Amino acid sequence: MQISTENEPKKLTVNDVEITYFDSGKQDISDRLPLVMIHGTGGRTDSHFGYLFPLAAQRQRVISIDLAQPKLKSESLSLEHLSAQVMAVVNHVIPDEKITLLGYSLGSVIAASIASAFPKTVENLILIAGWMKTDTHQVMRNQVWKELRKENSEAIKKYMTFCAFSAPFMSNKPIEEMLAAAEMIEINEFVDMQMTLNADIDITEQALDIQATTLVIGCTFDQMVPKHHSKQLYSVIKDARYAEVASGHAVVFERPAELVQLIDNFTQNPQKHEAGEIIPALRP
Amino acid sequence: MENMTQDKTIINQKILIIGSGFAGLGMGIQLMRKGEEDFVILERANDVGGTWRDSHYPGIACDVPSHLYSFSFKTNPEWSRVFSPGGEIQSYLRDCAKTEGLLPKIHFGRDMLASRWDDEKKLWFVETSNGLYSAQILITGTGHLADGHLPNVKGINDFIGEIFHSADWNHEVSLEGKRVGIVGSGASAIQILPEVAKLNCEVTVFQRSAAYVVPRADRVYTEAERRQFRRDPTIIDEVRQQVFWEGEYNYAQRRGVDRFLKEAKDMALGHLENQIKDKDLRAKLTPNYEVGCKRLLISNEYFPAFTKDNVTLEPSAIKEVNGSTAISADGNKFDLDVLILATGFEAVRPPFAKRIYGKGGIDLDTHWDKGMQAYQSITVNDYPNLFIINGPNTGLGHNSVVFIIEAQIDYILGALEFAKENNVLAIEVSEDAEQKYMEELHIRSQNTVWLDGGCKSWYVDDRSGRLTLIWPDYAHSFKDENGTFSPDGYMTITG
Ligand SMILES: Cc1cc2nc3c(=O)[nH]c(=O)nc-3n(C[C@H](O)[C@H](O)[C@H](O)COP(=O)(O)OP(=O)(O)OC[C@H]3O[C@@H](n4cnc5c(N)ncnc54)[C@H](O)[C@@H]3O)c2cc1C
Repeated sequence: MQISTENEPKKLTVNDVEITYFDSGKQDISDRLPLVMIHGTGGRTDSHFGYLFPLAAQRQRVISIDLAQPKLKSESLSLEHLSAQVMAVVNHVIPDEKITLLGYSLGSVIAASIASAFPKTVENLILIAGWMKTDTHQVMRNQVWKELRKENSEAIKKYMTFCAFSAPFMSNKPIEEMLAAAEMIEINEFVDMQMTLNADIDITEQALDIQATTLVIGCTFDQMVPKHHSKQLYSVIKDARYAEVASGHAVVFERPAELVQLIDNFTQNPQKHEAGEIIPALRP
Repeated sequence: MENMTQDKTIINQKILIIGSGFAGLGMGIQLMRKGEEDFVILERANDVGGTWRDSHYPGIACDVPSHLYSFSFKTNPEWSRVFSPGGEIQSYLRDCAKTEGLLPKIHFGRDMLASRWDDEKKLWFVETSNGLYSAQILITGTGHLADGHLPNVKGINDFIGEIFHSADWNHEVSLEGKRVGIVGSGASAIQILPEVAKLNCEVTVFQRSAAYVVPRADRVYTEAERRQFRRDPTIIDEVRQQVFWEGEYNYAQRRGVDRFLKEAKDMALGHLENQIKDKDLRAKLTPNYEVGCKRLLISNEYFPAFTKDNVTLEPSAIKEVNGSTAISADGNKFDLDVLILATGFEAVRPPFAKRIYGKGGIDLDTHWDKGMQAYQSITVNDYPNLFIINGPNTGLGHNSVVFIIEAQIDYILGALEFAKENNVLAIEVSEDAEQKYMEELHIRSQNTVWLDGGCKSWYVDDRSGRLTLIWPDYAHSFKDENGTFSPDGYMTITG
């Protein structure tokens, strides 16, 4: 059995834009559905799923899409633009297959809206640090970000890092390490568009509609998408169960192995925990 | 041995536990807490602690942070450091035994010599160096790193001088002014060398293969921190979680994911480069196998010790001893007064296995002639009512062994509960279930650094080329898969 963990990027053109995606390949030994991953704002497979992708690929086929800036005329970026990219890859790589769809941050908003639109395809759904309706707390942060961006402020990356990581995580690191992490952040026009989209999300109607067996993962110390948003998704989605990770929004960096555990247990047996259940965290 | 079994009184109880290290003590504590008092712990030594009683060499400490490397059900706010010294761990274990009222349950000075299953009576009969016992259930907690491995070196038994194993340090021997040889470059050697090098003595290290060593984030806990741990134990739980998941993160290296192998390798080789400026010396200390194939070691003091005038690195194994001269595989000769064997343990073929006879009267070691194996890493077909803690496929290269031990204790408690509810006299795993489990583990072991990393390590059994010691996955997966008893795969006889 050969499992590829280092994957060559693959390309697909969607609405005149070239999309990069990754596919760990068919897995004979696994009876799990393919796991399709959608990263969050400003991310890529490599950055947000650098850990999750190869490790989840030990257990099932994993496909991850790098969202790309669509060619827009006058309209602003919408969830539909991004959903279309995801579905194009899914239909290209695994047409007619049922999937487990995983989204992180903005990716989970996209994943939730895809799940409501394509109930026959999305059998299982994993929403990590996601939300349903942008609230004032998020708008406030979004506006500070936009002002810093407009001023071309030196502080913007530090601000993003400050918001993304939890206090307990950061307090255990030397400041140099956190500043180095801040330097890694890339900001471009596509990120601006995503930030505008983030400021005005409302998928409440779609969430009410979701049929998929769903795992909602909230992050205890999330300052960007505080955990009450995950609790809302968990309450509104019919067949949802909830787990919480003691992390900030940057859970893919702070507690990636714990996410692997939750994803692994869920994809192995999505119904193991009943709808409405709160899955207790492992206490080692 | 004959005369020892002349007193034919048999002490009978429901459960017999062998060993009083983390495994035996943890098992005993949980039984007591569940109100099950019909058990005895047999311990060959005269104190509890296992590993931490036997290993007391200079510099000994744990290499998983203390707050995690301790029982989840008995946390300790008093740890002095992130990686506490061995003596402190030993005191902790003694304290656990005492405060949980376990001491009267421990029969010290009883070496378990032979345990035989009586299929008619459905009982284990256990012969010890001091008395006979019988029990319905036999639980071994004899440790996987309990019996020192002595290297097969020509003439070593006739070495003229003092010689001892790291797990049996002879504190009577003063090293001052002596020529000391340290054999090995594993987890014990890297703790011993910096301490010995501080003394006024000449040290030679025989290194068969170099080790990957990463920085050790050790520090003392301040009184303020310890007060917080005392007042608010939830902080200890948070530390445990954080340390545990950091450890789990490192499983990605063992899995052989390039990105994380590189990350670990860069860290280890960067650490070496920072600490050793001399290019020749650095080359000798650079490993020639994949990172993580052997245990990844942590130390800030090991490499710098080699820059001291009184320390010599011999980058080859010890091959022969002639009188007081040690000869290396490269043919270099060293006259020595003391030889310290930091050569690890008999792990692939644990000695306890020779002493356990199952249904057919065959001992486990013979039964395991292709390497050890057990269903859910705990039970063996043909050996009813036997539970092995810390046996086949339980070792971790990246996280706390106590976590595994606790998962196994939970499993056993579940099995005992099941047996009680269903009036089970004997429970035995089916051969099918055991084989299927092993096949799955073997598939899972493929592409891990342990099998593919190109080093000779004690994780692999030469007789089958299989990983028999290591749990080839995340620690959490061990608990998820093997931490809860289910009667599936078992055959039972009820009374
Ligand atoms: C120097 C050193 C450092 C280590 N550091 C770490 C660490 O940082 N983190 C980690 O996870 N692991 C570490 N380990 C591994 C360690 O062995 C385990 O974590 C743990 O202590 C094992 O506990 P145990 O109870 O299974 O076995 P042991 O502690 O070995 O106890 C076994 C007991 O059984 C008794 N016994 C054996 N055979 C018989 C018999 N036939 N009859 C009667 N009694 C018998 C022995 O005398 C002993 O008391 C370390 C090991 C060593 C040697």
